[in-house]
Amino acid sequence: MKTRFGFICWALYLAVLMSMLWVPAANAYLDPGSGSVIFQVVVGGALALSVGLKIFWHRIVRFFSRKDDH
Amino acid sequence: MTKAGIGGSFRDPSGTVFESDGVLYREVAHSYRPHYDALLSNGLYESLTASGLLVPHEEVDPDIAGGANVYRVIRPERIPFISYPYEWCFGALKDAALAMLRIQSIAMEHGISLKDASAFNIQFRDGKPLLIDTLSFEIYEEGTPWAAYRQFCQHFVAPLALMSNVDVRLGLLSKLYIDGIPLELASALLPGRSRFSIGTKLHIHSHAKSSQKHAGARVSVRDMKGRFSSRAFRGFIESLTSTVKSYQWQPSGTTWADYYSEADHYSREALEQKRRVVAAHLDELNPSLVLDLGANTGIFSRLAAERGALTVSLDLDPAAVELSYREMVSKDEANLLPLVFDLTNPSPPIGWSNAERDTLDRRGVADVGIALALIHHLAIGNNVPFALLAAYFRKLCKNLIIEFVPKDDSKVQVLLASREDVFADYDEKFFESGFENYFEIRQRTELAGTGRSVYLMRAP
Repeated sequence: MKTRFGFICWALYLAVLMSMLWVPAANAYLDPGSGSVIFQVVVGGALALSVGLKIFWHRIVRFFSRKDDH
Repeated sequence: MTKAGIGGSFRDPSGTVFESDGVLYREVAHSYRPHYDALLSNGLYESLTASGLLVPHEEVDPDIAGGANVYRVIRPERIPFISYPYEWCFGALKDAALAMLRIQSIAMEHGISLKDASAFNIQFRDGKPLLIDTLSFEIYEEGTPWAAYRQFCQHFVAPLALMSNVDVRLGLLSKLYIDGIPLELASALLPGRSRFSIGTKLHIHSHAKSSQKHAGARVSVRDMKGRFSSRAFRGFIESLTSTVKSYQWQPSGTTWADYYSEADHYSREALEQKRRVVAAHLDELNPSLVLDLGANTGIFSRLAAERGALTVSLDLDPAAVELSYREMVSKDEANLLPLVFDLTNPSPPIGWSNAERDTLDRRGVADVGIALALIHHLAIGNNVPFALLAAYFRKLCKNLIIEFVPKDDSKVQVLLASREDVFADYDEKFFESGFENYFEIRQRTELAGTGRSVYLMRAP
Protein backbone atom coordinates (compact mmCIF):
# COMPACT_ATOMS: atom_id res chain seq x y z
CA MET A 1 0.00 0.00 0.00
CA LYS A 2 2.92 2.26 0.79
CA THR A 3 4.24 1.72 -2.73
CA ARG A 4 0.95 2.82 -4.26
CA PHE A 5 0.89 5.88 -2.10
CA GLY A 6 4.47 6.56 -3.15
CA PHE A 7 3.36 6.30 -6.78
CA ILE A 8 0.62 8.86 -6.17
CA CYS A 9 3.22 11.17 -4.57
CA TRP A 10 5.47 10.77 -7.61
CA ALA A 11 2.59 11.53 -9.98
CA LEU A 12 1.79 14.66 -7.97
CA TYR A 13 5.44 15.60 -7.95
CA LEU A 14 5.60 15.38 -11.74
CA ALA A 15 2.41 17.43 -11.95
CA VAL A 16 4.03 20.10 -9.78
CA LEU A 17 7.12 20.11 -12.00
CA MET A 18 4.97 20.47 -15.09
CA SER A 19 3.03 23.32 -13.49
CA MET A 20 6.32 25.13 -12.86
CA LEU A 21 6.84 25.33 -16.61
CA TRP A 22 3.87 27.65 -16.96
CA VAL A 23 4.83 30.09 -14.22
CA PRO A 24 5.22 33.47 -15.93
CA ALA A 25 8.58 35.18 -15.51
CA ALA A 26 8.88 38.64 -13.97
CA ASN A 27 11.69 41.14 -14.30
CA ALA A 28 14.30 39.95 -11.85
CA TYR A 29 15.42 42.32 -9.13
CA LEU A 30 16.65 41.74 -5.61
CA ASP A 31 13.62 40.46 -3.77
CA PRO A 32 13.77 36.74 -3.21
CA GLY A 33 10.76 36.87 -0.84
CA SER A 34 8.20 37.32 -3.62
CA GLY A 35 9.38 34.20 -5.45
CA SER A 36 8.89 32.14 -2.28
CA VAL A 37 5.34 33.45 -1.82
CA ILE A 38 4.38 32.75 -5.44
CA PHE A 39 6.07 29.37 -5.27
CA GLN A 40 4.00 28.37 -2.25
CA VAL A 41 0.77 29.28 -4.03
CA VAL A 42 1.79 27.44 -7.21
CA VAL A 43 2.80 24.27 -5.38
CA GLY A 44 0.22 24.59 -2.59
CA GLY A 45 -2.58 23.01 -4.61
CA ALA A 46 -0.61 19.84 -5.25
CA LEU A 47 0.54 19.57 -1.63
CA ALA A 48 -3.03 20.15 -0.43
CA LEU A 49 -4.14 17.36 -2.73
CA SER A 50 -1.45 15.07 -1.32
CA VAL A 51 -2.66 15.79 2.22
CA GLY A 52 -6.24 15.07 1.10
CA LEU A 53 -5.21 11.82 -0.56
CA LYS A 54 -3.21 10.82 2.49
CA ILE A 55 -6.24 11.34 4.72
CA PHE A 56 -8.41 9.42 2.24
CA TRP A 57 -5.82 6.62 2.00
CA HIS A 58 -5.57 6.27 5.76
CA ARG A 59 -9.36 6.00 5.94
CA ILE A 60 -9.33 3.18 3.37
CA VAL A 61 -6.51 1.39 5.21
CA ARG A 62 -8.38 1.76 8.50
CA PHE A 63 -11.60 0.49 6.91
CA PHE A 64 -9.95 -2.68 5.58
CA SER A 65 -7.85 -3.30 8.66
CA ARG A 66 -11.06 -3.17 10.72
CA LYS A 67 -12.63 -5.71 8.38
CA ASP A 68 -9.57 -7.92 8.76
CA ASP A 69 -9.99 -7.84 12.54
CA HIS A 70 -13.41 -9.55 12.33
CA MET B 1 20.33 51.76 35.53
CA THR B 2 22.21 51.17 32.28
CA LYS B 3 20.37 49.75 29.30
CA ALA B 4 22.30 48.00 26.53
CA GLY B 5 20.83 46.57 23.31
CA ILE B 6 21.66 42.97 22.54
CA GLY B 7 23.12 41.58 19.32
CA GLY B 8 20.88 41.29 16.29
CA SER B 9 17.60 42.07 18.08
CA PHE B 10 17.49 45.55 16.46
CA ARG B 11 16.07 43.86 13.37
CA ASP B 12 12.71 43.13 14.97
CA PRO B 13 10.33 46.13 15.18
CA SER B 14 8.13 44.07 17.52
CA GLY B 15 10.58 44.69 20.35
CA THR B 16 14.31 44.76 21.00
CA VAL B 17 16.23 42.78 23.59
CA PHE B 18 18.26 44.69 26.14
CA GLU B 19 20.31 44.03 29.21
CA SER B 20 20.09 46.02 32.37
CA ASP B 21 22.16 45.38 35.50
CA GLY B 22 23.03 41.94 34.16
CA VAL B 23 19.39 40.95 33.57
CA LEU B 24 17.99 40.24 30.10
CA TYR B 25 14.73 41.96 29.10
CA ARG B 26 12.68 42.35 25.98
CA GLU B 27 10.40 45.17 24.98
CA VAL B 28 7.06 44.39 23.38
CA ALA B 29 6.07 47.28 21.11
CA HIS B 30 2.49 48.58 21.00
CA SER B 31 2.34 47.61 17.31
CA TYR B 32 2.86 43.96 18.33
CA ARG B 33 0.18 44.05 21.04
CA PRO B 34 -2.54 41.96 19.28
CA HIS B 35 -0.09 39.18 18.47
CA TYR B 36 1.47 39.14 21.94
CA ASP B 37 -1.96 39.08 23.60
CA ALA B 38 -3.10 36.26 21.31
CA LEU B 39 0.00 34.18 22.14
CA LEU B 40 -0.56 34.64 25.86
CA SER B 41 -4.34 34.28 25.95
CA ASN B 42 -5.19 31.41 23.62
CA GLY B 43 -3.17 28.66 25.28
CA LEU B 44 -0.27 28.57 22.82
CA TYR B 45 2.27 30.07 25.25
CA GLU B 46 1.32 27.51 27.93
CA SER B 47 1.39 24.65 25.46
CA LEU B 48 4.82 25.53 24.03
CA THR B 49 6.51 26.37 27.33
CA ALA B 50 5.09 23.23 28.97
CA SER B 51 6.55 21.09 26.19
CA GLY B 52 9.91 22.86 26.45
CA LEU B 53 9.68 24.36 22.95
CA LEU B 54 9.51 28.03 23.93
CA VAL B 55 11.51 29.98 26.47
CA PRO B 56 9.29 31.00 29.42
CA HIS B 57 9.19 34.61 30.56
CA GLU B 58 7.81 36.89 33.25
CA GLU B 59 6.25 40.27 32.69
CA VAL B 60 7.91 43.14 34.57
CA ASP B 61 7.24 46.85 35.00
CA PRO B 62 7.27 48.40 31.47
CA ASP B 63 8.88 51.56 32.87
CA ILE B 64 12.18 49.68 32.98
CA ALA B 65 12.41 50.12 29.20
CA GLY B 66 11.55 53.81 29.42
CA GLY B 67 9.94 54.25 26.00
CA ALA B 68 6.54 55.56 24.85
CA ASN B 69 6.15 52.77 22.33
CA VAL B 70 6.48 50.01 24.92
CA TYR B 71 3.39 47.89 25.60
CA ARG B 72 5.03 45.29 27.84
CA VAL B 73 8.49 44.36 29.07
CA ILE B 74 9.25 40.69 29.56
CA ARG B 75 12.11 38.97 31.35
CA PRO B 76 12.80 35.71 29.50
CA GLU B 77 14.55 32.85 31.26
CA ARG B 78 18.21 33.28 30.41
CA ILE B 79 19.83 30.58 28.27
CA PRO B 80 23.05 29.77 30.10
CA PHE B 81 25.24 29.56 27.00
CA ILE B 82 24.43 30.84 23.52
CA SER B 83 25.52 28.77 20.51
CA TYR B 84 25.13 29.39 16.80
CA PRO B 85 23.89 27.15 13.95
CA TYR B 86 27.34 27.01 12.33
CA GLU B 87 28.62 25.48 15.57
CA TRP B 88 25.98 22.75 15.71
CA CYS B 89 26.64 19.28 14.45
CA PHE B 90 24.39 17.70 11.82
CA GLY B 91 22.09 16.04 14.36
CA ALA B 92 21.68 19.23 16.38
CA LEU B 93 20.74 21.27 13.29
CA LYS B 94 18.27 18.58 12.26
CA ASP B 95 16.68 18.51 15.74
CA ALA B 96 16.48 22.32 15.71
CA ALA B 97 14.73 22.22 12.32
CA LEU B 98 12.20 19.64 13.51
CA ALA B 99 11.56 21.67 16.68
CA MET B 100 10.82 24.76 14.56
CA LEU B 101 8.36 22.79 12.40
CA ARG B 102 6.69 21.32 15.47
CA ILE B 103 6.29 24.80 16.94
CA GLN B 104 4.72 25.96 13.66
CA SER B 105 2.30 23.00 13.67
CA ILE B 106 1.23 23.62 17.26
CA ALA B 107 0.91 27.36 16.59
CA MET B 108 -1.39 26.70 13.62
CA GLU B 109 -3.75 24.75 15.87
CA HIS B 110 -4.10 28.02 17.82
CA GLY B 111 -4.59 30.23 14.77
CA ILE B 112 -1.06 31.59 15.03
CA SER B 113 1.93 31.27 12.73
CA LEU B 114 5.68 31.91 12.90
CA LYS B 115 6.73 35.03 11.03
CA ASP B 116 10.43 34.16 11.41
CA ALA B 117 12.18 30.82 11.18
CA SER B 118 15.76 31.94 11.78
CA ALA B 119 17.97 29.18 13.15
CA PHE B 120 19.51 31.79 15.47
CA ASN B 121 16.14 31.88 17.24
CA ILE B 122 16.73 28.33 18.42
CA GLN B 123 19.02 27.58 21.35
CA PHE B 124 19.83 24.42 23.26
CA ARG B 125 18.76 24.18 26.89
CA ASP B 126 19.18 20.96 28.87
CA GLY B 127 20.28 19.27 25.65
CA LYS B 128 17.10 20.13 23.76
CA PRO B 129 16.25 22.78 21.18
CA LEU B 130 13.85 25.58 22.09
CA LEU B 131 12.68 28.84 20.56
CA ILE B 132 14.04 31.90 22.34
CA ASP B 133 12.22 34.52 20.26
CA THR B 134 8.90 35.08 22.02
CA LEU B 135 7.92 37.70 19.45
CA SER B 136 8.24 35.37 16.44
CA PHE B 137 4.52 34.70 16.40
CA GLU B 138 1.74 36.48 14.56
CA ILE B 139 -1.98 35.94 14.24
CA TYR B 140 -2.43 33.82 11.14
CA GLU B 141 -4.41 35.43 8.35
CA GLU B 142 -6.52 32.65 6.90
CA GLY B 143 -5.62 31.75 3.34
CA THR B 144 -2.09 33.20 3.28
CA PRO B 145 1.17 31.30 2.62
CA TRP B 146 3.85 30.81 5.29
CA ALA B 147 5.78 34.07 5.72
CA ALA B 148 8.83 32.24 7.11
CA TYR B 149 9.05 29.56 4.39
CA ARG B 150 12.07 30.98 2.56
CA GLN B 151 13.92 31.65 5.80
CA PHE B 152 13.27 28.11 7.01
CA CYS B 153 14.62 26.67 3.74
CA GLN B 154 17.73 28.88 3.86
CA HIS B 155 18.47 28.33 7.54
CA PHE B 156 17.66 24.64 7.80
CA VAL B 157 16.82 22.74 4.60
CA ALA B 158 19.76 24.06 2.55
CA PRO B 159 22.53 23.36 5.10
CA LEU B 160 21.07 19.95 6.00
CA ALA B 161 20.79 18.98 2.33
CA LEU B 162 24.39 20.06 1.68
CA MET B 163 25.74 18.36 4.81
CA SER B 164 23.89 15.17 3.98
CA ASN B 165 24.40 15.08 0.19
CA VAL B 166 27.78 16.75 -0.35
CA ASP B 167 29.99 17.23 2.72
CA VAL B 168 29.12 17.70 6.37
CA ARG B 169 31.56 20.64 6.58
CA LEU B 170 29.28 22.68 4.33
CA GLY B 171 27.25 23.47 7.44
CA LEU B 172 29.92 26.10 8.02
CA LEU B 173 28.49 28.08 5.08
CA SER B 174 25.93 29.42 7.57
CA LYS B 175 28.80 31.44 9.04
CA LEU B 176 29.18 33.31 5.75
CA TYR B 177 25.47 33.88 5.19
CA ILE B 178 23.83 35.22 8.34
CA ASP B 179 20.33 34.93 6.84
CA GLY B 180 20.86 31.38 5.70
CA ILE B 181 22.45 29.80 2.65
CA PRO B 182 21.05 31.34 -0.56
CA LEU B 183 18.90 28.72 -2.24
CA GLU B 184 20.40 29.20 -5.68
CA LEU B 185 23.85 28.59 -4.16
CA ALA B 186 22.63 25.44 -2.42
CA SER B 187 20.97 24.31 -5.65
CA ALA B 188 24.22 24.81 -7.60
CA LEU B 189 26.29 22.93 -5.02
CA LEU B 190 23.97 19.93 -4.66
CA PRO B 191 24.59 16.90 -6.88
CA GLY B 192 22.23 16.16 -9.79
CA ARG B 193 20.85 13.09 -8.02
CA SER B 194 19.37 15.34 -5.31
CA ARG B 195 16.74 16.38 -7.88
CA PHE B 196 15.26 12.90 -7.60
CA SER B 197 14.46 13.51 -3.94
CA ILE B 198 10.98 15.08 -3.93
CA GLY B 199 11.66 17.31 -0.92
CA THR B 200 15.06 18.59 -2.06
CA LYS B 201 13.79 19.18 -5.59
CA LEU B 202 10.79 21.08 -4.27
CA HIS B 203 12.16 23.11 -1.37
CA ILE B 204 15.58 23.90 -2.82
CA HIS B 205 15.90 23.47 -6.58
CA SER B 206 12.41 24.55 -7.71
CA HIS B 207 12.13 27.06 -4.87
CA ALA B 208 15.44 28.66 -5.92
CA LYS B 209 14.32 28.79 -9.52
CA SER B 210 11.03 30.43 -8.58
CA SER B 211 12.81 32.95 -6.32
CA GLN B 212 15.07 34.00 -9.17
CA LYS B 213 12.23 34.11 -11.66
CA HIS B 214 9.96 36.29 -9.51
CA ALA B 215 12.58 38.37 -7.76
CA GLY B 216 11.00 41.63 -8.92
CA ALA B 217 7.37 40.63 -8.43
CA ARG B 218 6.84 42.55 -5.16
CA VAL B 219 4.30 40.11 -3.82
CA SER B 220 3.68 39.71 -0.10
CA VAL B 221 1.89 36.88 1.67
CA ARG B 222 -1.14 39.17 2.13
CA ASP B 223 -1.42 39.68 -1.62
CA MET B 224 -2.03 35.96 -1.88
CA LYS B 225 -4.82 35.90 0.71
CA GLY B 226 -7.44 33.35 -0.15
CA ARG B 227 -5.21 31.53 -2.59
CA PHE B 228 -3.57 29.20 -0.09
CA SER B 229 -5.74 26.69 1.75
CA SER B 230 -5.11 25.45 5.28
CA ARG B 231 -4.61 22.01 3.74
CA ALA B 232 -1.87 23.45 1.50
CA PHE B 233 -0.23 24.93 4.58
CA ARG B 234 -0.38 21.58 6.30
CA GLY B 235 1.01 19.98 3.14
CA PHE B 236 4.01 22.31 3.22
CA ILE B 237 4.79 21.66 6.88
CA GLU B 238 4.40 17.88 6.41
CA SER B 239 6.57 17.95 3.30
CA LEU B 240 9.26 20.01 5.07
CA THR B 241 9.16 17.64 8.04
CA SER B 242 9.59 14.53 5.90
CA THR B 243 12.33 16.26 3.87
CA VAL B 244 14.28 17.20 7.00
CA LYS B 245 13.81 13.69 8.40
CA SER B 246 15.06 12.17 5.15
CA TYR B 247 18.49 13.81 5.50
CA GLN B 248 20.99 11.42 7.07
CA TRP B 249 24.66 11.54 7.91
CA GLN B 250 26.69 8.85 9.64
CA PRO B 251 29.74 9.95 11.64
CA SER B 252 32.64 7.53 11.30
CA GLY B 253 36.11 7.04 9.94
CA THR B 254 37.52 10.47 10.74
CA THR B 255 40.79 10.69 12.67
CA TRP B 256 39.16 12.09 15.75
CA ALA B 257 35.90 10.18 15.96
CA ASP B 258 37.95 7.00 16.51
CA TYR B 259 40.60 8.66 18.72
CA TYR B 260 39.92 7.01 22.03
CA SER B 261 38.66 3.71 20.62
CA GLU B 262 41.98 3.33 18.78
CA ALA B 263 44.16 4.96 21.43
CA ASP B 264 47.67 3.54 21.49
CA HIS B 265 49.27 6.40 23.37
CA TYR B 266 47.61 5.68 26.69
CA SER B 267 47.60 2.58 28.77
CA ARG B 268 44.29 1.86 30.44
CA GLU B 269 45.90 2.76 33.76
CA ALA B 270 47.16 6.15 32.48
CA LEU B 271 43.75 7.01 31.04
CA GLU B 272 42.12 6.02 34.31
CA GLN B 273 44.64 8.11 36.27
CA LYS B 274 43.96 11.10 34.01
CA ARG B 275 40.25 10.69 34.62
CA ARG B 276 40.81 10.58 38.39
CA VAL B 277 43.04 13.67 38.35
CA VAL B 278 40.59 15.71 36.26
CA ALA B 279 37.66 14.57 38.41
CA ALA B 280 39.50 15.57 41.61
CA HIS B 281 40.27 19.03 40.20
CA LEU B 282 36.63 19.48 39.17
CA ASP B 283 35.45 18.41 42.62
CA GLU B 284 37.75 20.98 44.17
CA LEU B 285 36.74 23.82 41.85
CA ASN B 286 33.01 23.03 41.78
CA PRO B 287 32.39 25.01 38.56
CA SER B 288 29.06 26.15 37.11
CA LEU B 289 30.34 26.61 33.55
CA VAL B 290 33.04 24.48 31.95
CA LEU B 291 34.61 24.78 28.50
CA ASP B 292 36.18 21.57 27.27
CA LEU B 293 38.59 22.65 24.52
CA GLY B 294 39.33 19.89 22.02
CA ALA B 295 36.80 17.64 23.72
CA ASN B 296 36.68 14.89 21.07
CA THR B 297 33.60 12.74 21.84
CA GLY B 298 33.25 14.35 25.26
CA ILE B 299 34.64 11.68 27.59
CA PHE B 300 36.11 14.29 29.95
CA SER B 301 33.31 16.80 29.33
CA ARG B 302 31.00 14.28 30.90
CA LEU B 303 33.03 14.26 34.12
CA ALA B 304 32.15 17.94 34.47
CA ALA B 305 28.55 17.58 33.26
CA GLU B 306 27.92 14.73 35.72
CA ARG B 307 28.99 17.10 38.51
CA GLY B 308 26.27 19.56 37.54
CA ALA B 309 28.34 22.04 35.52
CA LEU B 310 27.00 23.22 32.18
CA THR B 311 29.77 21.87 29.96
CA VAL B 312 30.37 23.32 26.52
CA SER B 313 32.22 20.59 24.70
CA LEU B 314 34.17 21.97 21.73
CA ASP B 315 35.88 20.03 18.99
CA LEU B 316 36.73 20.77 15.37
CA ASP B 317 35.78 17.31 14.13
CA PRO B 318 32.09 17.12 13.10
CA ALA B 319 32.07 13.33 13.48
CA ALA B 320 33.36 13.41 17.06
CA VAL B 321 30.85 16.13 17.98
CA GLU B 322 28.04 14.20 16.28
CA LEU B 323 28.88 11.07 18.31
CA SER B 324 28.91 13.14 21.49
CA TYR B 325 25.59 14.79 20.57
CA ARG B 326 23.94 11.44 19.84
CA GLU B 327 25.14 10.04 23.16
CA MET B 328 23.78 13.13 24.90
CA VAL B 329 20.38 12.67 23.26
CA SER B 330 20.19 8.92 23.87
CA LYS B 331 21.18 9.25 27.55
CA ASP B 332 19.14 12.41 28.04
CA GLU B 333 22.17 14.26 29.42
CA ALA B 334 21.13 17.74 30.48
CA ASN B 335 24.34 19.64 31.15
CA LEU B 336 26.18 19.14 27.90
CA LEU B 337 26.47 21.35 24.82
CA PRO B 338 28.66 19.69 22.14
CA LEU B 339 29.73 22.19 19.46
CA VAL B 340 31.83 22.06 16.31
CA PHE B 341 34.54 24.64 16.96
CA ASP B 342 37.98 25.22 15.49
CA LEU B 343 40.20 26.85 18.14
CA THR B 344 42.73 27.85 15.48
CA ASN B 345 40.01 29.86 13.74
CA PRO B 346 37.29 30.58 16.33
CA SER B 347 33.76 31.79 15.47
CA PRO B 348 34.12 35.47 14.54
CA PRO B 349 31.78 38.30 15.55
CA ILE B 350 29.47 38.53 12.53
CA GLY B 351 26.51 40.52 11.28
CA TRP B 352 25.92 44.25 11.28
CA SER B 353 28.86 46.15 12.75
CA ASN B 354 30.35 42.78 13.75
CA ALA B 355 28.02 42.83 16.71
CA GLU B 356 25.10 40.49 15.97
CA ARG B 357 26.83 37.22 16.89
CA ASP B 358 29.48 37.06 19.58
CA THR B 359 32.87 35.45 19.86
CA LEU B 360 33.19 32.57 22.30
CA ASP B 361 34.80 34.59 25.10
CA ARG B 362 32.04 37.22 24.95
CA ARG B 363 29.37 34.56 25.50
CA GLY B 364 30.60 33.79 28.99
CA VAL B 365 33.90 33.20 30.77
CA ALA B 366 34.04 29.64 32.04
CA ASP B 367 34.86 28.81 35.65
CA VAL B 368 37.04 26.01 34.33
CA GLY B 369 38.65 25.34 30.97
CA ILE B 370 39.78 21.82 30.17
CA ALA B 371 42.50 21.37 27.55
CA LEU B 372 43.58 17.74 27.42
CA ALA B 373 45.79 16.29 24.68
CA LEU B 374 45.42 19.59 22.87
CA ILE B 375 48.49 21.74 23.45
CA HIS B 376 50.71 20.01 20.85
CA HIS B 377 48.11 20.48 18.11
CA LEU B 378 48.02 24.20 18.73
CA ALA B 379 51.71 24.79 19.56
CA ILE B 380 53.21 22.49 16.92
CA GLY B 381 50.34 21.80 14.51
CA ASN B 382 49.41 25.49 14.30
CA ASN B 383 52.69 27.17 15.41
CA VAL B 384 51.06 29.14 18.27
CA PRO B 385 53.58 30.14 20.96
CA PHE B 386 52.76 29.08 24.54
CA ALA B 387 52.29 32.70 25.68
CA LEU B 388 49.66 33.34 23.00
CA LEU B 389 47.88 30.10 23.88
CA ALA B 390 47.83 31.11 27.53
CA ALA B 391 46.54 34.60 26.64
CA TYR B 392 43.58 33.17 24.68
CA PHE B 393 42.80 30.54 27.31
CA ARG B 394 42.81 33.29 29.93
CA LYS B 395 40.10 35.08 27.95
CA LEU B 396 38.03 31.88 27.98
CA CYS B 397 38.34 30.67 31.57
CA LYS B 398 39.32 31.49 35.14
CA ASN B 399 40.80 28.09 36.00
CA LEU B 400 42.54 25.72 33.63
CA ILE B 401 43.09 21.98 33.68
CA ILE B 402 45.66 21.45 30.96
CA GLU B 403 47.75 18.50 29.84
CA PHE B 404 51.31 18.97 28.65
CA VAL B 405 52.37 16.51 25.95
CA PRO B 406 56.19 16.22 25.57
CA LYS B 407 58.00 16.26 22.25
CA ASP B 408 58.97 12.59 22.37
CA ASP B 409 55.29 11.56 22.69
CA SER B 410 54.12 9.36 19.80
CA LYS B 411 51.35 11.84 18.89
CA VAL B 412 53.80 14.77 18.74
CA GLN B 413 56.14 12.69 16.59
CA VAL B 414 53.28 12.15 14.14
CA LEU B 415 52.83 15.93 13.91
CA LEU B 416 56.57 16.43 13.37
CA ALA B 417 56.90 13.66 10.78
CA SER B 418 55.81 15.88 7.91
CA ARG B 419 57.49 19.13 8.93
CA GLU B 420 60.78 20.55 10.00
CA ASP B 421 61.24 20.66 13.75
CA VAL B 422 61.49 24.40 14.32
CA PHE B 423 60.05 24.06 17.80
CA ALA B 424 63.16 24.32 19.95
CA ASP B 425 61.10 26.06 22.62
CA TYR B 426 58.61 23.22 22.87
CA ASP B 427 59.36 21.76 26.26
CA GLU B 428 57.77 21.73 29.68
CA LYS B 429 59.94 24.54 31.07
CA PHE B 430 58.89 26.96 28.31
CA PHE B 431 55.31 25.74 28.61
CA GLU B 432 55.27 26.64 32.31
CA SER B 433 56.91 30.03 31.83
CA GLY B 434 54.57 30.88 28.93
CA PHE B 435 51.50 30.08 31.00
CA GLU B 436 52.78 31.69 34.20
CA ASN B 437 52.26 35.13 32.63
CA TYR B 438 48.52 34.51 32.73
CA PHE B 439 47.92 31.75 35.27
CA GLU B 440 49.28 30.65 38.59
CA ILE B 441 50.32 26.99 38.48
CA ARG B 442 48.72 25.29 41.48
CA GLN B 443 49.38 21.63 40.87
CA ARG B 444 51.21 19.33 38.46
CA THR B 445 50.50 15.60 38.22
CA GLU B 446 52.56 13.25 36.06
CA LEU B 447 50.58 10.63 34.19
CA ALA B 448 52.46 7.42 34.91
CA GLY B 449 54.26 5.86 31.96
CA THR B 450 53.28 8.54 29.44
CA GLY B 451 55.69 11.43 30.00
CA ARG B 452 52.62 13.67 30.02
CA SER B 453 51.50 15.90 32.92
CA VAL B 454 48.20 17.42 33.95
CA TYR B 455 48.36 20.94 35.38
CA LEU B 456 45.85 22.80 37.46
CA MET B 457 46.17 26.56 36.93
CA ARG B 458 44.29 29.55 38.29
CA ALA B 459 44.01 33.08 36.97
CA PRO B 460 45.48 35.51 39.52
